Amino acid sequence: MSTVLIFLAGILFLAGILFIKPRVKKDVMWKNVLVWALYVVGSAVLWMGISFVYINATVGHAKATSTAIFLFGGIAVVIAVILARLLGFIGTKKVKDNESLSA
Amino acid sequence: MADSLKNKNTPEEKLQVSRRGFLKTGAAAAAMGVLGAIKAPSKVAEAAVSNYEYITPKKGQWSKLRPVPNYGGASVSYAEHNDQWLGTSEIVGTVKKFKEKEMGFALVAQGLLGPKAQAGFYTIGIRHPLSDALGWAISPIFGENIVDGQPKPEKLPIPDPEQMSMHIKDVAYYLRADEVGIGKMPEYGYYSDKMNPPMMGIIGGMVPRGTPLQDVPFTEKMPYVIVVAVEQHLETYLASTGYDGISDSQSFRCYHATANISIIMAKYIRELGYHARAHHFGNYGAVMAPCLIAAGMGELTRTGDCVAHPRMGFRNKVAAITTDLPLVPDKPIDFGMADFCRVCNKCSDNCPSQAITRDRDMVEYNGYLRWNSDFKKCAQFRASNDQGVSCGVCIKVCPWSSKESSWFHEAGIWIGSKGETASSLLKGIDDMFGYGTEIVDKYKWWLEWPELYKFEY
Repeated sequence: MSTVLIFLAGILFLAGILFIKPRVKKDVMWKNVLVWALYVVGSAVLWMGISFVYINATVGHAKATSTAIFLFGGIAVVIAVILARLLGFIGTKKVKDNESLSA
Repeated sequence: MADSLKNKNTPEEKLQVSRRGFLKTGAAAAAMGVLGAIKAPSKVAEAAVSNYEYITPKKGQWSKLRPVPNYGGASVSYAEHNDQWLGTSEIVGTVKKFKEKEMGFALVAQGLLGPKAQAGFYTIGIRHPLSDALGWAISPIFGENIVDGQPKPEKLPIPDPEQMSMHIKDVAYYLRADEVGIGKMPEYGYYSDKMNPPMMGIIGGMVPRGTPLQDVPFTEKMPYVIVVAVEQHLETYLASTGYDGISDSQSFRCYHATANISIIMAKYIRELGYHARAHHFGNYGAVMAPCLIAAGMGELTRTGDCVAHPRMGFRNKVAAITTDLPLVPDKPIDFGMADFCRVCNKCSDNCPSQAITRDRDMVEYNGYLRWNSDFKKCAQFRASNDQGVSCGVCIKVCPWSSKESSWFHEAGIWIGSKGETASSLLKGIDDMFGYGTEIVDKYKWWLEWPELYKFEY
């Protein structure tokens, strides 16, 4: 199972790079760096969390499993939201509406 | 032309040998041939005897079966073994040898820690059927004739001490030891006197209650000690309260395993022609804590004299072999246990007998520094526990003892071995995830008979 998880993590990590790459064309360098840094950190947290939860659930550490779901899952979701905002997946529609209204 | 002819003749002149010289060379060659012919059979025979066919391992390797020691992710450095230090334990005075009958359970057996503890101790090994069975299996191998004996008069050829040390470790792993180390035997690592009747006789219910304990001087002095450890079962601890019916069996299972390993190894060494005595639960002549530290298998913990290994914590039981077999001892290790224990206190918070101190620092005890935990309270509780048999709560809750092998526990152990601040962080994480104090019911495989744990006193 751990081999499958590692394979899955690798494949999805690469797929994520291919998905993000065309959308990272920011005007300033620091935003590019931030996006990629968040992507790497977010992926690491997510897959570390999945591995942690999987091992603890297998052994039967109930509190560790539930705590890890909230901890790693929470961090991963927060990073995902920031990343989505930076890449323009969320929050941009509202701005466009405002622009059209003001025009 | 004449010159060229002369030049051509020169090499031939150099190769010329006089008749006298030729005869001398011939005689010498013949003599060497005869001598070689005479010597050859004995050399061949000698080669046949001394060829133990051991392929030399790489220099500095731990052993062939385990090329590098497994410290479970801890950051380990080597410590000293001299007059001032035994590993990370500071020696501040003269460390006196104890009599075996001065140890916790021996005090209990003599009735010095109360009648309930005494009565409980005389039945501790027989109240739960599984620990009774395990104790029964140890009892045939605790006699002096089993743990000790005369070495073979003829020494067998063996590799050099470094290779022999690797070989001895491989023998231990082959015999299913979870860990092994070789130490320079500390002089104070022996009991001054063993007790008679032996502990095993009392625990096995073979000695009538109230039988006085006699001192038998123990005078052995060997240069090296080999220590073998077998882990107590992790899943069983996860499902146990730490002081229920399986607690005693957890210890006895490992005592049985290490006892067998130690007597086999001691006998093997005697077969090689060297002295060797096994020291196991049924018959200790050596005190295990200093032997463990000397053999690089751990550091003292807050519990007092329990020694924790970086990978297993103190969730293990050990036996030892003292020997004069030429070996290269390992060095004591330092993985930050003292710093960790200083800030953790998880064992003292959960100890049902309040035997483990909450003091921040160590105190002097018998010439060395250790935490001021009360071994008498501990022995008294373990012997008189009638909700189960014996106790191992400190083992269950210790962050170093309570984990399966995984990348994040290795990472945690690495953090825990990096000083007090890192240790506080690890302890906080350990508590947050609920390790140690949880009870995982799905592993509760053993049977309980609470009515058997009660006893008259």
